Amino acid sequence: MLLPDYYEFCCRVKIVAGHDALEKIPDLLIERGAKKPLIITDKGVAGAGLIDIVTRALRDRVFADLIADNVPPDSDLRVVNQLAGLYHDNACDAIIAVGGGSVMDTAKGVNIVVSENATDLMAFSGVGALKRPLKPLIAVPTTAGTGSEVTQVAVIKDHEKHLKMAFGSYFLLPDISVLDSRMTMTMPPFITAMTGMDAMSHAVEAYYCLQKNPLSDAHALAAVNMIYQYLPIVAKNPADQDARLSMAVGACLAGIAFSNSMVGLVHNLGHATGSVCGVPHGMCMAIMLPYGLEYNMHKREDAMAGLLLPMAGEAVYRDTPPAQRAAKVVSLIRQLNADLNTITGGRHARFFQEVRDRDGKPMVPREVLPEIARAALSDGASIYNPEDTDYDDNLMVLEAAWEGKPLDRNKVKKG
Amino acid sequence: MSIVKDIQSGRKPLKRAYVGIFLWFTGRAIQATARVDQEVKKEFDNLPDDFTFSLGCLPDGPCMVIGKEKGKVKYLGSNPGKRHVHVRLAIKSVDAAFLILSFQEGTAVATTRNRLITDGEVPYALAVIRILDIVEVYLLPKIIASLAVKRYPKGWSIGRKLGGRIGVYTRTLLGI
Ligand SMILES: [Fe+2]
Repeated sequence: MLLPDYYEFCCRVKIVAGHDALEKIPDLLIERGAKKPLIITDKGVAGAGLIDIVTRALRDRVFADLIADNVPPDSDLRVVNQLAGLYHDNACDAIIAVGGGSVMDTAKGVNIVVSENATDLMAFSGVGALKRPLKPLIAVPTTAGTGSEVTQVAVIKDHEKHLKMAFGSYFLLPDISVLDSRMTMTMPPFITAMTGMDAMSHAVEAYYCLQKNPLSDAHALAAVNMIYQYLPIVAKNPADQDARLSMAVGACLAGIAFSNSMVGLVHNLGHATGSVCGVPHGMCMAIMLPYGLEYNMHKREDAMAGLLLPMAGEAVYRDTPPAQRAAKVVSLIRQLNADLNTITGGRHARFFQEVRDRDGKPMVPREVLPEIARAALSDGASIYNPEDTDYDDNLMVLEAAWEGKPLDRNKVKKG
Repeated sequence: MSIVKDIQSGRKPLKRAYVGIFLWFTGRAIQATARVDQEVKKEFDNLPDDFTFSLGCLPDGPCMVIGKEKGKVKYLGSNPGKRHVHVRLAIKSVDAAFLILSFQEGTAVATTRNRLITDGEVPYALAVIRILDIVEVYLLPKIIASLAVKRYPKGWSIGRKLGGRIGVYTRTLLGI
């Protein structure tokens, strides 16, 4: 096993999980001296009736009527400032974020503004700009995927100045994450599948990328085990409460793993495909994950082989010759994508050629692959990928992922 | 006599001196490589006209600054003056700087070990890292450079390998 000379690991988020975990929030707020939270969410979450469940759990004990549901799909500086104003005007003392990645990012941004009395959020971007704890933030994820309920980063976009501000600080970690099965029960199979594959990609990349360490490994292995087991079950039976909770916990474990060990090529090319073509993040992750494994296999075969045990169990692990275990992991991931494709009636794409928008139009035309390959050179995830990547490497991987052919590993440039 | 003594952290003069000399040398080598190597030249061409980056050692250790001036890449010494610094690479301590600058640890690994902090816009920072990797390949024998970079480049022409290296070294030493 690869033991780094030096590493850091931090996760000081209190995690509350259960089928009725939301009911615990009033106590958690009162413990922290708060009783008037601002609830931040988006229209989709509110429309699905999830906010009603949250407010019902709070109502008798704490103030639960201040709800802002205008978070856009892409975090936006104007909304951050507007919500901070709302927080001040109503003399709030805590934030509850109910939603996916954009809601969490927005809530973290609002928390910086209200805690630091900031007029210019930009002044707090970059590493080390935050120096003290912020207001209590409770994260309630409504997808089992992003893991942002346990990450210390936030990305806020300034759409007027065309700027993307990145914030990173342990102070951005939510104080509490509440994983409640009711929050993901109504998620349709197609979204369940891709967000679940996002979580899977966090766990797998965390386990083989450069910043891996024994503590992130433990979380990654546990996450792979739970997600691999329960993702097909929740995609098939959305109302399976226990499986839903297991997925929420699996995604949270994966979040803890990758926020400490970071991610690589899968996210690198996935971010670029998302920004060039607008393909949802989870779908990019599902498609790219087998290729990330194949591209890096010559550097990380042992680690990858180790993933077979939590995925397939002891018998398969023992019966697979050591030299074939890493390749077996790749084929199991491909099979998982194929199964999800079947379960969702073809909506879960297995390769880029298959990705279509609402009107059935292909979202990733082959001609844009060079543009994606170039855009990926500007994404920070490349730093943590075990093997180097240049434009030609990116294009080669993207072409294979577009066609849905396994990567020809002999063509991967080695040092 | 005071009963309380100020304990000063060690100044490590030797390591500081090495780091200082090395930064000076790297600064000149980057300027030289930008003239000699097409790939590095292209990376710089894609950066803004007033692009400036620094590589230095925290908290108050040696530092070097590289900037573009009228389209040319220049080593600007240890102080950026009034220039806006787009990318700041900061090494956490003199000890860490010694590890990185004596090529016992590559930029990527140093980042994962939280010894090298990158501040500034990510796309620019990545360009700087790609530039540093190529400069290292020019400056160092393969056996050392292959430890410092993720993938030692294959397929460089003899001209680039030999001619380039002679060019980089001559220009670095002469400061042109
Ligand atoms: Fe992700």
